[in-house]
Amino acid sequence: MKNGRHILAILTLAALMPAALCQAQTKKSELDTFIFSPQWSAQAQFAGYYVAKEKGFYEEEGLDVQIVHPFSTQTAEDRLRRGVSHAATLTLTEAMSIVDDGLPLVNILQTSMNSAILLVSRYGGDPMKLRGAKVVTWRAGFGQTAKCIASQSHLSYQWITAASCVNLFIAGAVDATLAMSYNEYNQLLQTGLIKPGEGVYRFSEHGFNIQEDGVYMTRTAFNRSRSKAEAFARASRRGWEWAAEHPEETLEIVMEYVRSMRIPTNRILQSLMLDEILRLQLDPDTGTRDFRLRPDMVRQASGLMAKEGLLSREVKYEELLP
Amino acid sequence: MRRLLDIIRRSFSARLSLWVLLWAALIFIGSLIYVSVVTRRSIREQTITGATRVLENTELRLNRILDDVENMADNLEWLVYRHLDSPESMLEYSRTALQGNHDLIGCSISFEPDFFPGYHYFSAYTSRADDEVVTTQEGNDDYQYFYLDWYLLPKILNQPCWTEPYSDWDYDDDATLQTDMMVSYCKPLTGDDGSFIGSISLDLSLKWLSETISAVKPYTGSYCTLLSRGGTYMVHPNPEKLFYQTIFTRSLVDPDPERDGLGHSMLDWNTDFQEVMLDGVDSYVFYKPLKNTGWSLAIVCPEKTIFGSFNRIRRILSTLLILGLLLMFFSCIRVVGRSVKPLRELAAEAGRIASGDFEHRIPRIDRSDEIGALSRSFDDMQSSLVSYIDELKSTTVKRERIEGELRIAHAIQMAMVPTVFPPFPERKELDIYASMTPAKEVGGDLYDFFLLGDSLYFCICDVSGKGIPASLVMAMMRNLFRVYAKQGQSPLEISMSLNDNLSEENEHMMFVTAFFGRLDLKSGLLEFCNCGHNPPVLIPADGGAPAFLECEANTVIGVCPGWKYKGQSIKDFRGCKLFLFTDGLNEAENCSHEQFGDQRLLAVLNRQQRASAEDTVREMIDALSDHVGDAEASDDLTILCLGLSAGKKQK
Repeated sequence: MKNGRHILAILTLAALMPAALCQAQTKKSELDTFIFSPQWSAQAQFAGYYVAKEKGFYEEEGLDVQIVHPFSTQTAEDRLRRGVSHAATLTLTEAMSIVDDGLPLVNILQTSMNSAILLVSRYGGDPMKLRGAKVVTWRAGFGQTAKCIASQSHLSYQWITAASCVNLFIAGAVDATLAMSYNEYNQLLQTGLIKPGEGVYRFSEHGFNIQEDGVYMTRTAFNRSRSKAEAFARASRRGWEWAAEHPEETLEIVMEYVRSMRIPTNRILQSLMLDEILRLQLDPDTGTRDFRLRPDMVRQASGLMAKEGLLSREVKYEELLP
Repeated sequence: MRRLLDIIRRSFSARLSLWVLLWAALIFIGSLIYVSVVTRRSIREQTITGATRVLENTELRLNRILDDVENMADNLEWLVYRHLDSPESMLEYSRTALQGNHDLIGCSISFEPDFFPGYHYFSAYTSRADDEVVTTQEGNDDYQYFYLDWYLLPKILNQPCWTEPYSDWDYDDDATLQTDMMVSYCKPLTGDDGSFIGSISLDLSLKWLSETISAVKPYTGSYCTLLSRGGTYMVHPNPEKLFYQTIFTRSLVDPDPERDGLGHSMLDWNTDFQEVMLDGVDSYVFYKPLKNTGWSLAIVCPEKTIFGSFNRIRRILSTLLILGLLLMFFSCIRVVGRSVKPLRELAAEAGRIASGDFEHRIPRIDRSDEIGALSRSFDDMQSSLVSYIDELKSTTVKRERIEGELRIAHAIQMAMVPTVFPPFPERKELDIYASMTPAKEVGGDLYDFFLLGDSLYFCICDVSGKGIPASLVMAMMRNLFRVYAKQGQSPLEISMSLNDNLSEENEHMMFVTAFFGRLDLKSGLLEFCNCGHNPPVLIPADGGAPAFLECEANTVIGVCPGWKYKGQSIKDFRGCKLFLFTDGLNEAENCSHEQFGDQRLLAVLNRQQRASAEDTVREMIDALSDHVGDAEASDDLTILCLGLSAGKKQK
């Protein structure tokens, strides 16, 4: 705190960026480097990218990929908009919001094939029956789908936007929280406040199974460095496939990132996260790891958001393709 | 094993030592267990008392720190409300807070967006690094503080609260990432209308708090821990757990109801203690909540630490006990073995004596105890045994001599009576057969017969008593019978002569039952005199049933001198048989003490009416043998059967 730059980051969301990268990123991004920003702090959610970097898959593609995690108050979206990162991971709904907002994006790699969003009640019952309840969602904006469904169900939730959902839930400040099945849900389980399977609403099990994480670039950046983008996507996909085949070694790599960035998490949480992330990458219809954007899911998400006024128009599947 | 058991079975010292060892072990181990239980209970109670006291002291210490923070927030609140029109004052107040409380590492007075004119963001923040205090307004587009816990929690709850642990980060002069875990006490600020306008946040370094509390160690190896409302370890000696794990983390992959129960009890703000296994170590956990925070303070004491000294002493005692018992066992074997060594020697010497070396001298043991007494007794016993053996030898020689003499007497006695049948082959009309079996070597029964012209003299006698005295009387009777008979005396005269003769100087009151008869083989006249003897059985010539002969009631011979006996006769005995016997026949008993009896006797004779005298006698002996079985004969048995053929009568 000597330099006066003070950021308070939530325990579970601490976003740490190596200083050298932070200072050098602007100059290097236009040279031979490829700046990539996951939408969260270091964790197993991004294991495939860590693997691709540590195993030299990016180098083999001729890329000097630098993984720069965002701040908790400065999202990957912000970095993408400002052009400080070549690519960033976004959820499909986030990407559509940005496209609707006038910034064309290109999906260069789709990793998630299923929705991980859950709604968790602190009272153990069905959270979709808590009319007027205080429900916390991320500022990062992963909760669009949940907001649409709650609106359709006339639940009149009081949405509270926070950098982190878990601690408000623990403090008893909210009745329910949105949670990712691979992250916050396990964090909540390890508080002992909820029991496995109780008070949980899985959107994927109620007709709202919409893909989430994908790697996006602005269309401008993509057009400028298409070959780099394709090389990054190839190497990243290879990283994920290797991670699926070597989960234990992958976990070791993840923990190295976690430790170097002093993320307050633990091996058990990261192990559970990796398992869940790899499960979510399997296509619900084929059971295979396809790494593709599905037109039906894009159509469903776009229609849902447009209907609820979160989009001014329906964003087409083709708009997101390279 | 079998060999060992065999040694134990055969060795008195090993067996005795084992028993001593067994009982000593039972007593010692029982005592050790009792002392262990009592001591352990006492230590446990002392531990509970001590740990509870330490826990309360630590709680007081923590509460003082937390109270100071909360008091500072109250003071700041008062100041802020007085100068809500001056954002610059907030910077000063924030700085004042850190200068007034050195436990704090940060203070933030933050407001809702656009609360102050000209400021979209306003968060007056003062932080402490080393001894330097720095104050800034830190709200900006990149740092939107109103999405963070310490701001949102008091806003939503509308009351003061403590946050969950969270991390603070910054770069130092070398651009090296620095992080610190902290908790904040947050207090909402409200406007006149009660609406939320901002919050005060005071930050405590968890690292500092952890170091402060971790110094509390009631026992070596014990530690203090502090759980947040969400179960996170805010204080813990293990860096991997501190801030990064909750008490339930392990249960995500390895549920443990005991550990989870402890976690839930702590997070339910209970005050209690629990025995539970933590990280593979049996531990006592004493815990109680911290007021207003939702946190739970605990002291964890590993059981091995609490009972370490006790367990060490118990191990030493157990080892000493085992060694002592072994020492006792071997000492016991040695002492007992030495004590019973004379007994072994005594046994060996006694064995030589038992093998027949009666003259072998047993070494004398000069001891005054039981073994000495036993040795002396053995010595005496040996002397007595030698004397007894000598006496026995002498007695045996005498007895063998007597037995030899008895065998000779038996032979002489048997030679006195006719034993060759038929005795008078030339007298075809006479059928006679006799048998005599003494109960001992010699007996008191007698039968005899001889021919004098055409007269057959016969008799059967039974002398009172048995053995040699009876046999002597029997010999005398036989000789006198022959003498008197050869003088031509009738059976009556013979009876009276014998009675007079035997009655003289009969100091031993020995008497004889007798039946004397004289059969004229030509005329068939049978004269007889029964002197107290069993009446013989007459098997008539006409094929009628055998019947006891009607006899005069004469007394026995040898008791009443001058007794007037009465003789009897059967005019024509031809075709008849007379079966004479002593009481060794009809009074013979089987194992059930059932006598052979007159009825069986008559029944046998009834079947033998046409049989010869010899067959009749043999059949009777066989029947008697069947009846008596294995029972020992108690009396002499003498049978005489004679018959005179009817052919003579026809002539």
